[in-house]
Amino acid sequence: MKRTFAKIAVVGAVAGGLAVAAPGGAAQAAGGPTDQDILKDAETPGDILTYGMGTQGQRHSTLKAVNPDTVKKLAPVWAFSFGGEKQRGQESQPIVHDGTIYVTGSYSRLFAIDARTGDKKWQYDARLPEGIMPCCDVVNRGAAIRGDKIYFGTLDARLVALNKDTGKVVWNKKVADYQAGYSMTAAPLIVDGKIITGNSGGEFGVVGAVEARDAESGELIWSRPTVEGNMGTLNGKESTMTGVKNATWTGDLWQTGGGATWLGGTYDPETKSLFFGTGNPAPWNSHLRPGDNLYTSSTLAINPDNGEIKWHFQTTPHDGWDFDGVNEFISFDLKKEGKVIKAGAKADRNGFFFVIDRTNGKLLNATPFVTETSWAKGFDLNTGKPIYNEDKRPPNPVDGGGASAGQGKPIFAAPSFLGGKNWMPMAYSPDTELFYVPANEWGMDIWNEAITYKKGAAYLGAGFTIKPLFEDYIGALRAIDPKTGKIVWEYKNPAPLWGGVLTTAGNLVFTGTPEGYLKAFDAKTGAELWKFNTGSGIVGCPVTWEMDGEQYVSVVSGWGGAVPLWGGEVAKKVKDINQGGMLWTFKLPKT
Amino acid sequence: MSAQAINGGMLKRLFLAVGLTVTSALPGFAASLDTVTERGVLRFAVYRDFPPFSHRVGGSLEGADVDLAKAIAGKMGLGVEFMELTADENMDDDLRNAVWKGSILGGGVADVMMHVPVNRDFAQRNDLVVIFGAYQRETFAVARDPSRISETAGFPVFQTEKVGVELDTVPDFFLSGAFGGRLRENIVHYGTVDQAADGLRAGEVAAVFAPLSQLEGALGPDKAKFPIGRMAAPNLNPSEWKIGMAVKQDGHDLAYRVGAVVTELLDGGTVKAIYDRHGLTHSAPAE
Repeated sequence: MKRTFAKIAVVGAVAGGLAVAAPGGAAQAAGGPTDQDILKDAETPGDILTYGMGTQGQRHSTLKAVNPDTVKKLAPVWAFSFGGEKQRGQESQPIVHDGTIYVTGSYSRLFAIDARTGDKKWQYDARLPEGIMPCCDVVNRGAAIRGDKIYFGTLDARLVALNKDTGKVVWNKKVADYQAGYSMTAAPLIVDGKIITGNSGGEFGVVGAVEARDAESGELIWSRPTVEGNMGTLNGKESTMTGVKNATWTGDLWQTGGGATWLGGTYDPETKSLFFGTGNPAPWNSHLRPGDNLYTSSTLAINPDNGEIKWHFQTTPHDGWDFDGVNEFISFDLKKEGKVIKAGAKADRNGFFFVIDRTNGKLLNATPFVTETSWAKGFDLNTGKPIYNEDKRPPNPVDGGGASAGQGKPIFAAPSFLGGKNWMPMAYSPDTELFYVPANEWGMDIWNEAITYKKGAAYLGAGFTIKPLFEDYIGALRAIDPKTGKIVWEYKNPAPLWGGVLTTAGNLVFTGTPEGYLKAFDAKTGAELWKFNTGSGIVGCPVTWEMDGEQYVSVVSGWGGAVPLWGGEVAKKVKDINQGGMLWTFKLPKT
Repeated sequence: MSAQAINGGMLKRLFLAVGLTVTSALPGFAASLDTVTERGVLRFAVYRDFPPFSHRVGGSLEGADVDLAKAIAGKMGLGVEFMELTADENMDDDLRNAVWKGSILGGGVADVMMHVPVNRDFAQRNDLVVIFGAYQRETFAVARDPSRISETAGFPVFQTEKVGVELDTVPDFFLSGAFGGRLRENIVHYGTVDQAADGLRAGEVAAVFAPLSQLEGALGPDKAKFPIGRMAAPNLNPSEWKIGMAVKQDGHDLAYRVGAVVTELLDGGTVKAIYDRHGLTHSAPAE
């Protein structure tokens, strides 16, 4: 309320041509969001300052004007085209501050748009070098804002800080070497003046890391490798080793062990913990790297002050299916048997929905959120370990049994390596106390094989064919009760879901579909209440905010991401979807 | 085959009708022999930063693949152009970026891609390209420090001596599984063969196990200090493979012509001369 008043005062001052700014309000407008504003983002519906609509990543808004009674009237106010001939996947979540929307587009672009009119204020196109090779489309997932700067990562693995009002570059730092295959697609996270990022790409022979930089200068403060045996740094000096060298890795493989943190992380101010998921271990063939391979395919809780690991939970020990463990870990209060437990939840690529005590990393529950999790029978809640189905691990090519010499025996495993849920973030509603998970039902024929080629030379590889599990749908938006792991309702979608989810206190759940629809559901029952076709597939994250006393909803539209890159039977469901690149904004008509 | 010929003919007529400027502006259209001949230039895709085959030396592009491409174009009376290609995670992706579709980041496609393995399974799963024109037979070899490893030693020596490999390669896989995993602790993984060769020079490892031509390229004059030879490896799979070229699937006529030129260059000793010049052993691919 105070914030809204301050903004009106500023607008009045500018309109009147007054040089004297309103006290407090002017400082806020000129300086932009503070660290405190960022930490309280989830409580202030007038802006969206963080990826995840709050550092905990719940993607929940307290706004209620749009609700099951009114949503049928929700209509577009304006739409903004990203323009150019470059379209492809738009996986971004908009940031909204002081009447401006900041949204990233494919090919490392950032747009500042007038939230009231859809007019472009400025546009920044990163100059991408020749020879970058992003793994999975040319996406970007969003920006971060603090003070007078807006930040985002680029496909050539740079972190760029721009003046939020002019789009002029303040600093531009190389985070990793794009020539080694690194890129940056995740939205940065800002905590207490530090900008915190993971690394992406470089699946071959690199080690994942979480890094914190000074948000003002871009200088590195600490770095934390994700694979045991590697040394962290703090203030330019070596700090501590990650884990214990060779505890769960043989030989020197820890030096090239994988564990990329390509999806970024969340932050919980209550326990002062960063939560970052880590990618799959390298090399691909699990028979070459005996052991659990810590801390790949895990969630890490990290101290934001110094980069020390507080605890870890490994969702897929000794990952042999390319499940990864990068999925977002969302903090929430688990109300169970009269107690409130500081918990967190993660819907993993491996098909299990994990509820974990976020103060110590102890597993509280793990239940499947997809119909088939063939690789494991379940999890032992005492040890926190999966109970594997060993016959569902892709066999060693040395043992033969495949279609040609050097090929391992193929097995069918579910979920496929694209995951029970991929990158697209789920949402939590403290009102319904349910999580809303964008899931996909697919498995894969998979085999290890000796013969694939890189630069004309024979390498190890894996062969796979992704197969939908059902004729009529792949995607399924599922409401999950974290107390029991039970699925309360589901919405089935023909094409795989690839966009994020939004919940509101208005008892609504929003998500987009590759078929192009932004849809609204009743958060309690799952009844579909509204839809709007945006003209291309939606693989971005919807947001909602309040401006001039009205509730707005925005989402980017533009089909792409990893799904269209894989052929097979899945391609049939998506082959007719056209590309795009638009930011759509909706509100209720004035009565 | 006949259906493709008809399509090729129709495409050619279409190109003539709309003019060459339009066809060259269309990314994803690999040129047929006629359009290449009219254009007067043959465009080759070669790997970026890939010594001794294609790499920059003081700004100019050099290497065995580059020289062979120049020889092919010269023999056809055409000019030559190069598109440098960053290697993706596997060559199926590289074929897409180089000849049949182009990178999503722009830059178009090349007429011919160099350094493509000629292998039936690989060709079958890449049916949008034609793979042809094998010009080299590649094998694996061991470069060793003679003060630590004798000429007659076999792989069991790596129970006590360290051996360098490029991560995830066939040698890596072979050594990791050999002798019940007993060599595993002595395998040192490097990102590239060049880095492994540096490790050998620095004494970090007593040997490097890698493709022969890459070892020769990486060691250069140091081959004298670190002899390169074979070790008996009965279960190494594959133990050899052929290297050739690729064009887009509708470029059969171009493939036939370039393939014929490569055969001439092989028979006339030009390919061997190029390999010799770069300090590489040329092994003619068996028919």
